[in-house]
Amino acid sequence: MDSLFTSAVAGLSAGGAYAILGVCVVFTYRLVAVVNFTATALGAVGAFVMVMLTELGYPMFPAVLTGVVAGTLVSVIVGFITTIWFSGSNQTVKAAVTAALLVCIIALGLRLTGGQHPRAFPDLIGGAGIKLAGVTITAASLVAIALAVLLTVAVEQFLGRTRTGLQLRALSERPMAAELLGVPVRRLAIGVWALSGAMTTIALMLIAPLRSPDFGSLSLLVVPAFAAALVGSFNSFRAALAGGILIGVVEGLASGFVGLNQYRAAVPFIVILAVLLWSQRGARWDEAR
Amino acid sequence: MKTIKTATRLGPVLGLGLLAMASAAHAGAPTCESGAIQIGAVSTVTGPVDFSAGPKATAAYFEKLNAAGGINGCTIEFEMADDRGDPLVATQAARNLIDNKNVVAMVGSASLLDCGVNAALYQRSNVLSVSGLGVDPVCYSSPSVAPVHPGPYALSTAMLYFASQELGAERVCAFNYVIGGWREAMEGALKDWETITGKDLHILDMTLPVQGDLTPYLIRARDEGCDAVFTNQVEPGIVQWINTADAQGISGIDWVFLASGYTEGVAKALADSPQPIYVGTEWEPYTLQNEANQDWLDLVTEAGLAPSAFSQGGYLAGRVITDVIAGIDGEVTREAVADALRNMEPASYPIAAGPYLFGKGATDGPMRATKVVKLNAGAWDVVTPEWLGVPTTN
Repeated sequence: MDSLFTSAVAGLSAGGAYAILGVCVVFTYRLVAVVNFTATALGAVGAFVMVMLTELGYPMFPAVLTGVVAGTLVSVIVGFITTIWFSGSNQTVKAAVTAALLVCIIALGLRLTGGQHPRAFPDLIGGAGIKLAGVTITAASLVAIALAVLLTVAVEQFLGRTRTGLQLRALSERPMAAELLGVPVRRLAIGVWALSGAMTTIALMLIAPLRSPDFGSLSLLVVPAFAAALVGSFNSFRAALAGGILIGVVEGLASGFVGLNQYRAAVPFIVILAVLLWSQRGARWDEAR
Repeated sequence: MKTIKTATRLGPVLGLGLLAMASAAHAGAPTCESGAIQIGAVSTVTGPVDFSAGPKATAAYFEKLNAAGGINGCTIEFEMADDRGDPLVATQAARNLIDNKNVVAMVGSASLLDCGVNAALYQRSNVLSVSGLGVDPVCYSSPSVAPVHPGPYALSTAMLYFASQELGAERVCAFNYVIGGWREAMEGALKDWETITGKDLHILDMTLPVQGDLTPYLIRARDEGCDAVFTNQVEPGIVQWINTADAQGISGIDWVFLASGYTEGVAKALADSPQPIYVGTEWEPYTLQNEANQDWLDLVTEAGLAPSAFSQGGYLAGRVITDVIAGIDGEVTREAVADALRNMEPASYPIAAGPYLFGKGATDGPMRATKVVKLNAGAWDVVTPEWLGVPTTN
């Protein structure tokens, strides 16, 4: 029992990472209606700009700032492509565009950052954090979880209580109608992209030291991020937050069971399937009747 | 002093020339009436990894050889193809080299998948591959390919042997990740160690994720009391592994890795870690400036290449095939080169982990030795100055 709890806690740091990335994915989807495959790759661009600067001897703060600006800028570029060039296209086409861009960004990123060669990612928030069941949860993991919670609350409040929030909801649900009503659609959309780029960059800077520090691996964190978002049907921030942590914990648990650990990578998706079946049971039931 | 240095530098090439001339006088010599000798390589350059340092060194070796007069007057034309880590491209590249360029052999190939995809084609076409860097198990179990280094499987046995015999670890644990057909070869390597030492692995876990969090695995290694942990992680994975161990404040475990960890990148990324990090090398440790490395080091310096273990493989492959061709009596054809490789005597090179033998069978003469380096404040120190040989199991 103790060892099971240990395994579950061991999955928490991964869970924090998945949660914050999942929330970022839902953010883009809810506000500009794009399933953004490039989400983590854009953050990786920013994180690598930072690490390259620190490796060149620049102090931490300006390097982090430049990295965040870089992540924001590339995110704005991708946002520009999806909102301006593909403004009339449906969600499927936009998602396909970001998937294509992901391949392009990974290929370029691998080339420019030295392929598989690891980078020395600095620990932005040093320190051991807390110790639970014999497992250290690093300060960076705690900050990632806290940021995910903060982001969830802030975005929910912003969307529900402010005029800009209302406009953003209109923008994602009926972009054409919103534009006709005089909502500054493009400006808002680009703003959303900028913000999500900055957030993902910060998230990846926190996560990178405990992940495989190469461009490809960091970019592919989009898979668990999507899995977390899927728990909330790409709609609920809270569910994405909980889903991310759940996936991390389940992964940790799965690696504690001999026999099950071979299927560790698949386990989270079985959980998602179960969650989706449960949450959609009403609709299915009604249809069947 | 300068003259001596130049003499040393030209030594091997001149020696080779003399060797070629000597054999010309006595036992016949290689001839090339149809023009330069064509040699190819299929390597992963663009794609998930960049192994081009290997074949670039092979190319530099042949250029230097050509400049010194070639092999008995025969020059070598070398073409390196990029397989992009894509099986289809790898097949097309090999076919193009075999059918259109009429290569007599593949030399210095450094690829993720060339062996697995093309070994049967090489066997059918009688084009043998003196690989500079073999990754997949087929490289070590095919009669048409023989890499110039021990390879990840023999090296796994060697590193476990190092952990139990040299470091004196009682509880040796292994955490590996497995892709495609690796499992059998990897399990065979671990079994080898068990047969040799009569010990059992304390933990054998073959479920490491290629991507993903490593915390649960490190916690398990710590909680089950491993003295030494071996893992087949590659470069970035090793950095992640040690960073996770540091984050968990683990101490008292020796970490034992394969050769892909022996790079500047890993040394720099883990310079501040207090963990004992050991890596097995596939050739003479490349960071050493000694006699065994001198000829290779001169080559890469002159060619302006960065010294790396990969380039040692490329260099050695070039040197092996040059010696083999120099021993051919008559026209250098595909058949002549294949015969010479299959019937060669084991050849020793100071930079190699053991005598090189291509051989007729599927698993002839795999080298079974390594020199182990340890990371010490951002620099690699050699901890086994002599080759650590692993006894054979049969």
